Amino acid sequence: MAVLTTLESPGLDFKRRLKVDLFPTIWCPGCGIGTIMIQLAMVLEEMGLDESNTILVTGIGCTGRMGSYMKHESVYTLHGRTLPVAEAIKTVRPEMNVIVVSGDGDTASIGGNHLIHTVRRNARLTVLCNNNEIYGLTGGQTGPTTPTATKTLSSPGGNPNSPINLQGLIRSSSHAMYAKTTVYHQLHMRNVIREAIEHDGFSFVDITSQCIENNGRRIGFASANEMLTFYRKTYKRAPKGARQLAPFEIGVLYPDGHPSAGDGTAASTQKESTGTAAAGGAAPASAPVRERAPVSDEEKARRRAESQKRLALMSRLDPAVKLDVATGKISLADALRAAGIDPDAAP
Amino acid sequence: MRKLTQGNEAVVRGALAAGADYFAGYPISPSTEVLNVASGWAAQHPEFRFLQAEDEIASANAIIGASLAGAKSFTATSGPGFSLMQEAIGYAQKVGVPCVFVNVQRVGPATGMPTMPGQGDIMQVKYGSTGDYSPIAFYPNGVEETFRLMVVAFNAAEESRSPVVLLSDTFVGHLNEVVDLDEVGLTVSVVPRTIAPLGRHEAGKPRFFAGVLMYEHGPDAGEPATADGDEYLRQFYETKHRHAEVAERYALYEHGWNLDAKVLVICYGIVSRVAAPLAAEYALFRPIRIHPILADEIRAIADRYEQIVCIEANDGQYADMVELAIRREVKRVPLLGGRISIEAVREGLARVMSGGPSEPPIPPTPADRAERSPLGIG
Repeated sequence: MAVLTTLESPGLDFKRRLKVDLFPTIWCPGCGIGTIMIQLAMVLEEMGLDESNTILVTGIGCTGRMGSYMKHESVYTLHGRTLPVAEAIKTVRPEMNVIVVSGDGDTASIGGNHLIHTVRRNARLTVLCNNNEIYGLTGGQTGPTTPTATKTLSSPGGNPNSPINLQGLIRSSSHAMYAKTTVYHQLHMRNVIREAIEHDGFSFVDITSQCIENNGRRIGFASANEMLTFYRKTYKRAPKGARQLAPFEIGVLYPDGHPSAGDGTAASTQKESTGTAAAGGAAPASAPVRERAPVSDEEKARRRAESQKRLALMSRLDPAVKLDVATGKISLADALRAAGIDPDAAP
Repeated sequence: MRKLTQGNEAVVRGALAAGADYFAGYPISPSTEVLNVASGWAAQHPEFRFLQAEDEIASANAIIGASLAGAKSFTATSGPGFSLMQEAIGYAQKVGVPCVFVNVQRVGPATGMPTMPGQGDIMQVKYGSTGDYSPIAFYPNGVEETFRLMVVAFNAAEESRSPVVLLSDTFVGHLNEVVDLDEVGLTVSVVPRTIAPLGRHEAGKPRFFAGVLMYEHGPDAGEPATADGDEYLRQFYETKHRHAEVAERYALYEHGWNLDAKVLVICYGIVSRVAAPLAAEYALFRPIRIHPILADEIRAIADRYEQIVCIEANDGQYADMVELAIRREVKRVPLLGGRISIEAVREGLARVMSGGPSEPPIPPTPADRAERSPLGIG
């Protein structure tokens, strides 16, 4: 199996889609939502979608705050009510792209009834579901996607119930597209998000994502990195022609009769070879995989200290200057010099 | 053309006259005709969008989404559905979304007595959702007035940037009267939408419509203000004053019957029609704007009368509001269980005017099996 890697950097243009001046975000260090936001921003940049033609609708939960960090008109709805709001927006303004970003609890639990019926009506929406298998914002309670036997704050003896079958639910409609990906598989995520936006019909991207603070640690992961490593090791691409994704398989399932139906993972692989190189296109499958030298623990500690120092210095800058530094218009050293801050002084 | 028109049909006709182009709803008696008529209109006019949603929660949120996207939107339901919509109404109040909710009331609580007429949702309109807000609500007592007030409701919604409620009841909704709504439609004025629809914002300044308290202006605009009481006060009172100012433009009421009588009867909606035979003996005050209460108007009018009696198809909800607003005793005649009839009105009046309690005598449980109405009602 070809391991996907991106040799060409997608560039930093996607930062135009983000309100960088509001950073750092409210999300905990190690959270997966930021990654989803970055990938979404990259896809929007790549597709030329901007605030004039794309509206975000978000729900309650950690994920819901994404709308406030993106430069798009955005509706932060009530808990679970993203879909009826989004469907009505799309009905009234069919020329707009309406993208729903929400967590698994918001989408599948409190908004479960809306999900069933929005899928049934084949509303032309794209739903990105940050599936971290937990209610993170409230501290870590069992969610609709929490695996059986997982210990959470609200199931200290282990979740007695089975998780909801999102794939089966979405696929119960003959029009809907379902895609599964993870925060580790970023290129794959980007490709499926793009395909989901391009799909003429209801599309649902189920993104497995890590919540280290309120789930991961409780179930035995020491860090977000460990969770991502777990995704890398356990999630595999579905075989070509797959009509259904097995547990721990990532891929895209199109409705029957769709030109790409039955492509399983393939649809996104094809895109990679034709994608525009400048904007996040992937290397051909035969391209050599870039090997990375192992990094020692001392080196990691040094990098972490450097990054923290940089953050501390950034926080002392004026927001406007911070934005210039973040977007690369001016170097941090120059900005500090201009502000009369000694970079070597203790913060 | 003059023709026999139903109250619920007038809801849709009024909405169309006000420029409505989106309806979402869920079937529930006695409001279902609104959904039926709206769907029929949508079938012939594709520019009018219609959604039969999976429930009232979705309907209410859909009209919010539609309104943000630029449509003038409305929904119609009855008490149980109105309860489900409360969450969304609170959201529309917080975010400032103009839209219209029609509640054709029946007897509650819960499923209650479908579909006998009731007026039990007066307080639900005011206090149904979480937190403090200042709703505007109107209540017609006939078909033509339903039409006119629907236009008023849309206008007030646009001006106040808030969800406005049109109250009705089984009888007003199912009332058939000969009216010429085309003619009436020529006389109404319509307030256009002023808020930019989603995606038509000032370039480079995308908005964030949030149910959570956010800074709207100043250097922190776009940041959450969830722990800033000052910001809450600024936004709360700005909204409250705006709603009060708009409501003031629609201080609608009727003061009539025998103006020289000693007793003022306060009633609204269908009760004011049913109680019409009292016209010779009593004076009438009929509030058309139910919320916010017409405190100054009621106080000035009530001063001319020795006694005030409030007749309504609930256990004194409006009477409580009046008593609180004018600090005077208000006698109550509750017409409960769907019994809105002139007999019940006269019986109640005789009881309370002779110093008796507002509570009617409770009929004993019959020993024999009751004979059922073949229609399952009455």
